[in-house]
Amino acid sequence: MKFYICIKQVPDVNAPLQIKEGQLLQDTDRMILNAYDASAVEEALVLSEKHDGEVEVVLIGPDKAKETLRKALAMGADKGTHIVTEDESYDSAVYSKILTAFFNDKEYDYIFCGKQAQDTDSGLTGGMLAMQLDLPYTTNAVGMEFENGSILVKRQGDAGQEMISVPSPGLVTCSNDMNEPRIPSLKGIMQSKRKPVDTISTGDLGLSEDDLAVRTQILSFEEKPEREAGRKFEGEPDEVAREVAKLLDEEAGVL
Amino acid sequence: MNTDQKESARQLSFDYSQDQQMIRDAAREFAERHVAPDVIERDMSKKFPHDLVKLLAEQGLMGIYHSEEYGGGGFDTVSFCLVIEEIARWDASLALTIASHTSLGSGHIALAGTHQQKMKYLTPLAQGEKLAGWCLTEPGSGSDASGMTSNAVRDGDHWILNGTKTFITQGSVGDTFVVLAKTDPDKGAKGISAFIVEREWDGVQPGEPMHKLGMNSSDTTELVFENVKVPAENLLGEENKGFIDTMKVLDGGRIGIGALSVGIARGALEESMKYSQERKQFGKPIGSFQAIEHKLVDMAVRIDASRMMVHRAAWLRDQGKPFTKEASMAKLMASELSVEAANEAIQIHGGYGYTKEYHVERFLRDAKLNTIGEGTSEIQNVIIARELRKEFGY
Repeated sequence: MKFYICIKQVPDVNAPLQIKEGQLLQDTDRMILNAYDASAVEEALVLSEKHDGEVEVVLIGPDKAKETLRKALAMGADKGTHIVTEDESYDSAVYSKILTAFFNDKEYDYIFCGKQAQDTDSGLTGGMLAMQLDLPYTTNAVGMEFENGSILVKRQGDAGQEMISVPSPGLVTCSNDMNEPRIPSLKGIMQSKRKPVDTISTGDLGLSEDDLAVRTQILSFEEKPEREAGRKFEGEPDEVAREVAKLLDEEAGVL
Repeated sequence: MNTDQKESARQLSFDYSQDQQMIRDAAREFAERHVAPDVIERDMSKKFPHDLVKLLAEQGLMGIYHSEEYGGGGFDTVSFCLVIEEIARWDASLALTIASHTSLGSGHIALAGTHQQKMKYLTPLAQGEKLAGWCLTEPGSGSDASGMTSNAVRDGDHWILNGTKTFITQGSVGDTFVVLAKTDPDKGAKGISAFIVEREWDGVQPGEPMHKLGMNSSDTTELVFENVKVPAENLLGEENKGFIDTMKVLDGGRIGIGALSVGIARGALEESMKYSQERKQFGKPIGSFQAIEHKLVDMAVRIDASRMMVHRAAWLRDQGKPFTKEASMAKLMASELSVEAANEAIQIHGGYGYTKEYHVERFLRDAKLNTIGEGTSEIQNVIIARELRKEFGY
């Protein structure tokens, strides 16, 4: 079985952020593998260990993002492709277009993506990619099994968990509730240096400037307003309940 | 910068390599996921964490800088320091287990062993399948290690080993011991040899775990060797030259204790930063008071200096350059800092810091070992003074 995992380098959510004049300033030294992607890699590794498969990772990003590709290889992925880009303001449509161009001539059983990236939280790339490649797909996987030639996905829905069989070739986007991604061992780190990595450009994929034009744009960033302190009600339960109901109706307008 | 300037700037770099960063990140993730959660419980129960050691072995963290040929990671001493710091940040006992196992017991075999000895003994140690103990100190000889009374007498194709060793890390959980003993008692330090001894052999008697101030989940015992028959091929290094190797092993061990000390001090700072921002008195976080700020700054400055000294000593070792003085200086600086930083961390935490609800009281109890083990601070002074005299030609 051949798995491709789309991964992204994102800022460490624990790293402090600053917003200055609408611009986001972040410590670019603290970049990590998107947690949802890490779960996708982990799940592919488990499935490929069980069913004798192969795991390839593909990453779009600047030169620095190579370290994140190496992390996935250190976890156990067999091979990597780094699609080097200079521009970091791409939206999900562009990312999915680049990936579509990449996958056009590839053979695979399944493509896994994180259900979203921790930096933008858009959650669109996986779905767009499945559409463009005309693949059956499902989202927000919290569990996977390989059964009778298909992957049986346990999907977390609003009302409960759904079991969805995704035939091959297909695409699944993964939640980080699915597993605990392995920590690279020293052996894995050592081996990751010797694993094959293809470095290509968007031009190599036959994409032009026009293809890479974004459709959505982030105009500016704003600080989240500080949460105001709550109100405490004290007194007889009857009276307090009456007052709370009144305020919910008149002030909050939720009744 | 012109080309020459760029070239000379390249000679001194404060960047960690990508390998080193990956190892540090992996160790940090490991420590946060597996080490931090039950550390207070382990300190109180004083049980040796066999399960954690097994996980460390799976990650390849029990033989970081030993050669890949003998089951090690094949990484450098700087990487080793980064791992020790990350583990010690939460659990100094566990960091001590790794450091002593790697640099003392396994380290002595890696330094002086023959290919056969390394294949047989170093490989399972570096892979973490077995644990090493290093037996130098005796009840009557500590800082003056050459005053030992343990002895080995040649008897055909064996040596007969007798003696009592104490303060042996991994004394009761260890599988493979390197034991220093007099083989020519009249010659002092020049009559000492090293032997590889298996725990299973007749006459090897580990004592009960000692009750200590700290480092509670690290195993420390006495070890008695009574007429232990050691095969001649288990002589480690040259006969009567064991003490020279011992000094080299201790030089390496000091780097580990230095890194461990930096880890504890960093823990003290991180816990104190967090607490002093959360704890409010007189209507504001205590971290906004200058009395507290100065303590935090003092810790941060000295942690930075100590880490650089430790990593430089490690780097020198990796370059194959002499590092006795630098390792000693780094160990002295970092170990004294670890005690003082932990002490100040308790002060910042006030009454809460004195309880086992918080990490900092453990940091202080654990840190005190650092100014004693692998040579006391006083002995570091002796070593540094001797190196200084050499340097100045006296």
